[in-house]
Amino acid sequence: MTLKDVIRKVFLVEIVKGMALTFSRLFTRPVTRRYPKEKRPAEPGFRGLHALVRNPATGDAKCVGCGLCAAVCPSRCINVYTSEGPEHQKVVDGYEIEVLRCVFCALCVEACPYGAIALTPHYEYADYSREALFMTKERLLDNWDRYMGEEGLRYFDSFWNPKEAHFKTPRGQAMFKGRIIGGFSG
Amino acid sequence: MSIFEFLMQPGIFDIVLNVGAIVLKVAVVIAVAMLHVAYATYFERKVIGHMQVRMGPMEVGPHGLLQPVADMLKLFFKEDIIPAKADKPVFYLAPVISLTAALSSLAVVPFFDGFVIADINVGLLFILAASSIGTYGIILAGWASDSKYSFLGGLRSSAQVISYEVAMGLSLVGVIIMAGSLNLSEIVRAQEAYPMGMYAIPQILGFFVFVVAAFAETNRAPFDLPEAENELVAGYFVEYSGMRFALFYAAEYIGMIIMGSLAVTCFLGGWTIPRFVTQAVPFLGGVPGIVWFLLKLYIAIFFYYWIRATLPRFRYDQLMGLGWKLLIPLALLNLLITGIIKVAVH
Repeated sequence: MTLKDVIRKVFLVEIVKGMALTFSRLFTRPVTRRYPKEKRPAEPGFRGLHALVRNPATGDAKCVGCGLCAAVCPSRCINVYTSEGPEHQKVVDGYEIEVLRCVFCALCVEACPYGAIALTPHYEYADYSREALFMTKERLLDNWDRYMGEEGLRYFDSFWNPKEAHFKTPRGQAMFKGRIIGGFSG
Repeated sequence: MSIFEFLMQPGIFDIVLNVGAIVLKVAVVIAVAMLHVAYATYFERKVIGHMQVRMGPMEVGPHGLLQPVADMLKLFFKEDIIPAKADKPVFYLAPVISLTAALSSLAVVPFFDGFVIADINVGLLFILAASSIGTYGIILAGWASDSKYSFLGGLRSSAQVISYEVAMGLSLVGVIIMAGSLNLSEIVRAQEAYPMGMYAIPQILGFFVFVVAAFAETNRAPFDLPEAENELVAGYFVEYSGMRFALFYAAEYIGMIIMGSLAVTCFLGGWTIPRFVTQAVPFLGGVPGIVWFLLKLYIAIFFYYWIRATLPRFRYDQLMGLGWKLLIPLALLNLLITGIIKVAVH
């Protein structure tokens, strides 16, 4: 042990350094956000409460009832009910999300080819009953109007780039034009 | 002879007056001490909060100033739970022993010139003895709760307090030799007469040993093994709730105040300030002694919190090793040096 080490040990240099640090922290601004009084705005892309995107042209949901969201959902919390309409089109009768089971992975948002489902930045929806957190189609549309609206459409266009815009009539026969990763391509 | 006439007899009247004065003093000291305990918790949470770049209590009252009141109310209305297998009489008794031992130490602390409840000649010994009795409260609480966590906490606490009591006693002997008295007021007066104004400078080694031992004695971080949260939940008072828990809590904080006062009276000059300071800035001599005493005490208590915010907890064998292999030899060395100088001067 050198003399320097001895001096460091006897005069508790490390402890003094640590104490100087804690003392200097005493005069810095606390990083605390006093939550209910001081709210942090959610960043774009925050995965909060669910909403069904309202189509401004029709006034109804953009959802076509393909059920991809329900298929991809890992916690199986989405139920889509469809029926055949008078002109043989698909009619979305019901769309339900059980928010209490959702894990907020946003796979449904990614899966939706029409950009019809969204996770809004709204996160303060704690409630005392299960019913209050069971979202029906009407409530989901209402969530959209309340927490996303026009701004949400802009957000969707710029960040999620819904595939519906790229849908074209296929030339000849339908074929997969995407990239096959790690497999046969040709 | 009516009671009034009996009381008005010359001899009896003096006794009644004296007792009345003492009771009044006791009431004032306990009330002020309890207020200090309440706000020591607030001060602790604020200091540690800000040292950790947090805010500490902010919600109750402006800047959380009423937090201790809220805590007190909450503890008062909490359910008093007693474990089914607890040794009931001992369980009831333990917090009372702890608090009584802690509070009785306040009797010999000289808060300012002439204000001591009991100006006894063995004040220093009395404080050491009372703080040891406080350990009974801790170990009995651990034993009576019938819980392994609290029992381990109690055992650790007793082992720790016994080990560190030796070092602490030895470190104070240096002060006793310099002052030539065990009376705390006399020790303060001896320091006033001393050119440097406080014994912390010549007794720097003893002061160091005392400070470290005081941390261990009051079960404070970094020696808070008896209540090591992550191993023992809360240590010896795991099974206590409501007011009984509050009694232990109060005892712990009064213990801190006692050790702080002991450091102030024995090493930092008590209610006095060094003479060279009053010579340099004369108007400071007019400031009442209680102000200096409390200021020094608050600094001592702040130091407790500062250490708690900085240092991690010691391991048990490190704690024992530090106490027996470092602090006691240091205290003995300090004693030897002090003794030699004292003999050489006279």
